[in-house]
Amino acid sequence: MGRYIIRRILYMLVVILVVSFITFGLMHSVPGGPFDKEKSLPAEIIANLEKRYHLDQPLWKQYLSYLNDVFVPHIAHEKPKGLDVADDYLIDIKITDTFWIRWMNFGPTFSSRSRSVNDIFRQQLPVSVQLGTLALIIAIIIGVPLGIISALKQNTIYDYLGMSIAIFGVSVPVIVLGPLMIWIFGVTLKWLPPTGWGSKPPYIFGFLPTNLGWDYWKYALMPSVALGLGSSAILARLTRASLLQVIREDYIRTARAKGVKERNVIVGHALKNSLIPVVTILGPMMAGLVTGTFVTELTFGIPGMGKYFVTSITNRDYPVIMGTILLYAVFLVVANLLVDIMYAYLDPRIRYD
Amino acid sequence: MRSKFFVLAGLLIAVSMILGACQPAAVPTPETIIQTIIVEGEVQEVVVTATPAPVVKPEQMKVLTLNMGPGDIPTIDPSLGTDTSSIQIVAETFIGLTRQDEVTNLVEPGMATTWDSVVNEDGTETITFHLRNDVTWVRYNGSTVEQVLDCDGNPRIVNANDFYYGIMRTLAPATASQYAYVLGMSMVGANDYNSGETDDPSTVGAEVIDDFTIALTFIEQAAYNPAIAGMWIAYAEPSWLIDGDDCTDARGDKWTETGFFQGYGPYTLKEWVHDSTITLVKNPFWVATDNIPAPKIEEVTWTMLDASPAMAEYEAGNIDTVAIPLADMDRVKADPVLSAQYVVAPDFCTYFYGFNTQAPVVNDVRVRRALSMAVDRQSLIDNVLKGNQEPARWFSRPGLAGAPTMEDHPDLGIGYDVTAAKAELQSYLDEVGKTAAELDLTLMFNTSEGHRKIAEAIQQMWKDNLGVDVKLVNQEWAVYLKTIKGADTPQIWRLGWCLDYPDANNFIRENFGPNGSANPWKDGKPFGGAMYNNPDFFAGLLDAAREQDPKVRVDKYAALEETLVSTDAVIIPIYWYTRNTLTKPYVTRTFSTGGHEYIEKWDIDMDAKP
Repeated sequence: MGRYIIRRILYMLVVILVVSFITFGLMHSVPGGPFDKEKSLPAEIIANLEKRYHLDQPLWKQYLSYLNDVFVPHIAHEKPKGLDVADDYLIDIKITDTFWIRWMNFGPTFSSRSRSVNDIFRQQLPVSVQLGTLALIIAIIIGVPLGIISALKQNTIYDYLGMSIAIFGVSVPVIVLGPLMIWIFGVTLKWLPPTGWGSKPPYIFGFLPTNLGWDYWKYALMPSVALGLGSSAILARLTRASLLQVIREDYIRTARAKGVKERNVIVGHALKNSLIPVVTILGPMMAGLVTGTFVTELTFGIPGMGKYFVTSITNRDYPVIMGTILLYAVFLVVANLLVDIMYAYLDPRIRYD
Repeated sequence: MRSKFFVLAGLLIAVSMILGACQPAAVPTPETIIQTIIVEGEVQEVVVTATPAPVVKPEQMKVLTLNMGPGDIPTIDPSLGTDTSSIQIVAETFIGLTRQDEVTNLVEPGMATTWDSVVNEDGTETITFHLRNDVTWVRYNGSTVEQVLDCDGNPRIVNANDFYYGIMRTLAPATASQYAYVLGMSMVGANDYNSGETDDPSTVGAEVIDDFTIALTFIEQAAYNPAIAGMWIAYAEPSWLIDGDDCTDARGDKWTETGFFQGYGPYTLKEWVHDSTITLVKNPFWVATDNIPAPKIEEVTWTMLDASPAMAEYEAGNIDTVAIPLADMDRVKADPVLSAQYVVAPDFCTYFYGFNTQAPVVNDVRVRRALSMAVDRQSLIDNVLKGNQEPARWFSRPGLAGAPTMEDHPDLGIGYDVTAAKAELQSYLDEVGKTAAELDLTLMFNTSEGHRKIAEAIQQMWKDNLGVDVKLVNQEWAVYLKTIKGADTPQIWRLGWCLDYPDANNFIRENFGPNGSANPWKDGKPFGGAMYNNPDFFAGLLDAAREQDPKVRVDKYAALEETLVSTDAVIIPIYWYTRNTLTKPYVTRTFSTGGHEYIEKWDIDMDAKP
């Protein structure tokens, strides 16, 4: 298992490099640049801007220096001053007073002059991670049991009810559910604040909120439910389909024939195996949820990562495009690795050594 | 293995919860203490006495909440601001040499109380600004607003050197300021310094005469020069904070962050939670003047919400004034409570279609005029836009200095006239021997639901009124800008323009002058956009800019507008923007026409507030 994981991590690095190469190539081949505005800027002004952000250099040089900034650890001999947004490393480790190891500089943002891409990771990503995690938990808590009940009570009122809820969840998007919830609970009943998020930097371990009281939950409740419902519907349908298939397997019949109690047949044999497709989809689902969800964050006014995926592309904000895509890629490959490890636990037939 | 995993997971959750629970006590939230300070100013020597007043109860504190629109504010560094939200913040935390009244847009004293102008022999204009000497730099220290002290422990007073530093920092190539071009095209030597042709700062037409006098030299004499001197890119900036000095650590690019920011306007920065909110707090050391009073509202917060969530917050009572989303317009007008809080205010932007005046078919002025006259602007506003916009008869938004208004020039420009449009088109068709349906025309706009609706409505009007079939093409924004500002510029294209400084020059000349924003040039020839080259018109633009008599100036601009929209019909002016706002009845306010509000003139009636 250990060797397998190491091998996978090496593959992951290759995947990330390939993703960075393709993203870099694509974003520079799209017409239009970061400083093309409705108001034309004189050539001298553009030249100053391009010089500041090193966009005047040949593309291969820009790409290599990006790789150097992001992937290669650097050494500094004095305490970093952080005066320049282009000089901001995500990881700054002090070894001695005159020896600092610095790693992962994702560069400045073009649209926000006093912030680096790392600042967005520090301040906006934690919010998206919190929201995404809560939504994922809600999705699992609602979706999996709903699917199990529907499968076990197939073609009964419970099944129809459960699947109706699931269809509702899939077909009513956040863009409808969100404003509806805001209108009911925020504006009319005034139980919850319509928009906003209950935590702000600094975060514990870089992502956990410092307060977990009502002041946090009153903001988190509506968006995480709105976001989680859609995903729970997907999980419910998947769980149901998978469980229905598994209970028809020979080994389940064998277990029943041996006189194993029905409860143990379901919990010990059927359920565990039926979760494999569910776990498979949880990987990309998690990566998608925790890196930010554009519509949910916009609807509930949540200061998360979601909009940077969209606006960076329209603004041709190159470092933000690279940063967000790489971030998503990292989450995705890590989530897939976790999924593969879970397989081995869920299905004894799967071995990696 | 299974149990171990769960124990570990449980432990992690427990630890994080304990940490989470502990944290609030460890991080004390700053409390705001409001102090009343009496300031007495004397020449050169400023005595500042601070008398703390009784602490105001939080529920009695005047706090205002507004919405900025979605997305983080790009910057609050005066040298770097380019957009309305950035400029809103700097306009409250700094004051320029001059300032414009937010409603009338007339130039008023800012940090300069008076200024005098001399036209030099070479045609340049030197304006000497005399500064007030009783304004100190301030910062919010986490609990209260305090004066910034110099290395000797005296309050730092805003002076001519700070303005010189601000202007030169804007122009320095390394700063890479986008709006440096405004100074570049108006101030002597500014462009050469900004483009790196020279690194000698003395070549720039800015000179500190003494601590409270600064002289700026402009390339040409123009009525709007004092307005340019008052723009955000020419504000005073704290050199000690940005570059560091003996007693201050340099903060470089990050000097504008919470806890470090220094300003001197009626408000100063309290907290900027990126992507979420920005809060300004009253500067008690601001010495009120006639046009810049001491703020009555203690704290102002801008949220960064999309239009619909902001509307929900307004209705929930958490935001005091909001822009009405288009989807809610009909509901607001029908609602007895909301319609009483509804105000339409002008907004200094123009929406227009431009022609490539050298492209086939539209290279004939009759076709251009016919297309322009066939657009029923009022119907577009009533049925498509629904935001009470004003039909535009020309380009420069009325209300700008120098711009004609509907009152003094009711018949100026171009409007909806089907008969005349048909006649113009027929005359062209007869000449070329074609039918209207045979004309090959393309209208291009940038991909957006709003622009599409407008384009489709106008396409239908052209079809109904003239029998012309116009193809619609759309491109993604950045791609679109490349297209319309290059050799492939389509026959008809869309753009909008909003003011930088309130003068007709900023509209008509900066767009349609040689190498204007909507009329780019390359190698001395039009290249993209309007492809417009009319030497008489260009000479008229220069002449109108220099005109000193306000009335004559308006007439000169009126004649130029007539050329632009009718005689040469370079563009189809479509509508002038308006702002549809809701404001809670307990807020007394002004409605800015320039895009940013002066909150120091607002008030909240605490008795009327629920």
